Amino acid sequence: MLRAFACRRADALLLPAYAAGFAFLHWVALPWGGDGFFSLWYPAAGLRFAVLWRWGTRLTPWLMATELVVDALTGQVVLAGPDVWHDVLGVIRPALTCGLVLAALHRLAARRRGPHLLPPMIFGLAAVGAPILTALLVQPIQLILPRSQSTFGHGIDLVIALCSLVVGDLLGILVLAPLLLSLDKVIARKLTLNLPRLTAWPVLEGGGVLAVSTFASWILWRAGMGVQAAPGLLAGAWIGLRFGQRGAWLAIFAQVVMLLPYSAQHVTYTQRLGLHLGLASTVIVTWLAGSYCDAQRWAQASLDRRNRMLFQAERLKTLRAMSVAVIHEISQPLSTLAIEARHLNETCRDASPEAAASAALVDRKARELSDMVRRLRRFGGRDVDEPSPVPVAQLVQTARQIVAPELRALGAWLDADPVAEDIFVQAQEVELTQALVNLLRNAMAAHARVAQSESDMRLDVRVEGSEVCLEIVNAATAADVSGNGMGVGLAIARTIIEAHGGRLSRRDAPGQVRFLLFLPILGASA
Amino acid sequence: MTVQPPSCVAVLDDDADFAAAVARLLVRQGLEASFFTKPAALLGGMMATRFSCVVSDIQMAETDGFTLAEHLRARDPCVALVFMTAWPTTAHAVDAVRRHGGLDYLEKPLDESRLIVAVHEGLAWSARKWQVEQATGAFTRREREVFDVLVKGHSNKEVADLLGISVRTVEDHRAAIVSKTRANGLAQLVALSRGEG
Repeated sequence: MLRAFACRRADALLLPAYAAGFAFLHWVALPWGGDGFFSLWYPAAGLRFAVLWRWGTRLTPWLMATELVVDALTGQVVLAGPDVWHDVLGVIRPALTCGLVLAALHRLAARRRGPHLLPPMIFGLAAVGAPILTALLVQPIQLILPRSQSTFGHGIDLVIALCSLVVGDLLGILVLAPLLLSLDKVIARKLTLNLPRLTAWPVLEGGGVLAVSTFASWILWRAGMGVQAAPGLLAGAWIGLRFGQRGAWLAIFAQVVMLLPYSAQHVTYTQRLGLHLGLASTVIVTWLAGSYCDAQRWAQASLDRRNRMLFQAERLKTLRAMSVAVIHEISQPLSTLAIEARHLNETCRDASPEAAASAALVDRKARELSDMVRRLRRFGGRDVDEPSPVPVAQLVQTARQIVAPELRALGAWLDADPVAEDIFVQAQEVELTQALVNLLRNAMAAHARVAQSESDMRLDVRVEGSEVCLEIVNAATAADVSGNGMGVGLAIARTIIEAHGGRLSRRDAPGQVRFLLFLPILGASA
Repeated sequence: MTVQPPSCVAVLDDDADFAAAVARLLVRQGLEASFFTKPAALLGGMMATRFSCVVSDIQMAETDGFTLAEHLRARDPCVALVFMTAWPTTAHAVDAVRRHGGLDYLEKPLDESRLIVAVHEGLAWSARKWQVEQATGAFTRREREVFDVLVKGHSNKEVADLLGISVRTVEDHRAAIVSKTRANGLAQLVALSRGEG
């Protein structure tokens, strides 16, 4: 249990960097501080949130300790006196609540699936939930460990102080965390740094909307109505809905940059709280609108993808019908050919050795071709595939025949020793062949990525007790773990094998990927 | 006993080359075989020649092999049938054997040895069937029923109970059967029912 929170080697660099960043952002927030402890714009909360989101909630105790050290070093908290425990709890409280909220939401999302628990929504819920829980815990701590002199006052003062705490953290998280997380993805090269292509129209539209809203706010301010949040809120919603999370973030950034210098000036604490409450609503609405737009785009893209897959499936169906028709058309003349070739072979036995050899060759090839057509028809022509005893040798042979053209195109070779004819499994032949073909195709795809490799692929069959084990081995580089496929082939293979009472396991050796396919042997004493 | 007519095999497939190849294959096996490409031609040919065994394709342009089987059986109940197909299905295979009395259901490209075995079996079956038909052709309907139950090894009393008639009547029918087949005992009747007489 405790091991989950252990400090890893990478954290040794992360924690000092976090300490420096936290101290700097804490200092940056000072101009917006009120009478109490809290700033109405607290970017350090965004850094904390981003770190916990990116590296996991296991870092929670470490961030708590780091923040305590930073606050002690900068004199924010004095580690002496009668209220030391209360103050220490106050310092570690935000990191603790942030970790708790994130952990709870991730656990909830893992158990339940729903549109409100998709990653962008978890982010939004946590960004709102963490500051609120921090504020809610202030009073219980005061009750358990009473401070001789209350930090936040009483009554209305307390409510205002807690509101400012929520607003400051909320603004900090929603403004800074998305930026930091995007930067991290860019650094990890998960996301290419393609800044939104600056085509003229979006810039004009977004900029225009922002300009109009600012102008409207200015008019309202000039009319003596103070700084009103409504125009900015509408503009944010517009931009978010039109341009997604990136546009939303830019709009949030622009509005924060416009408002914060103003609210840092000499305004009263209540005015500042009012301004920042308005800004917080704008930021939330803008961010949600942007998330909604991205979710819609994602849904549209997945719909398009599904349409393409349906089209592909339709094409495959046609191809199958065509291949069945081709097999039928071939089988008719091939029957004639095979009969006549055998006759020719028999009558040519006494002819010249050359003619006899030719006739024998024609006969053999015609027979091989006939066998192949019969086997291929079993694979593609039957609609209902009843489970029946199937020789493993036949499975292997059919699968190898199917992948043979791809192997040739790859210039690769699949090593396989002859399989004993007397090993039978109870199977739906078509499905099980499909499973084997999928595994072979995966091996071939991995093999193709290992450039100029000497080693070839192997398919071994051996009996292990009451089971038969088919082992598929291919060379792989160390980095070649995930592969480029979608993993669908493997998933299908596993499902089929398990439906046959077998199992599929992977036991890699250094430089090798080894898939083991176990199936119960028919008639074996279990 | 009556002398059996010569055994002749007919091959029917709408692909003339294939039909001819199969017929030649059978001829090489020492059988008398001729081929047809149309069901109507085969039925017409039956007027002149008696075919003991018909090797027929199932999917044909005009009539399918199963309809043809009905026509063939209506004309000659002693004809043995072997089916071939390039579109094998489990349902067809079961139909071919159970409903249409086919002796085998062969998948194209043909397994030659299996075809030859099936044709030989067909000829033997047809010969036995013909013997039985010859021997029992003169029976009345009731005599036929009594004969069928008797050769299964039932006593006169059991036959009477099974058919709901008196023992005395069974004895009468039995006497008629023996006189018509000129058999001298139950053992010979049983052999006759198996086409061994």
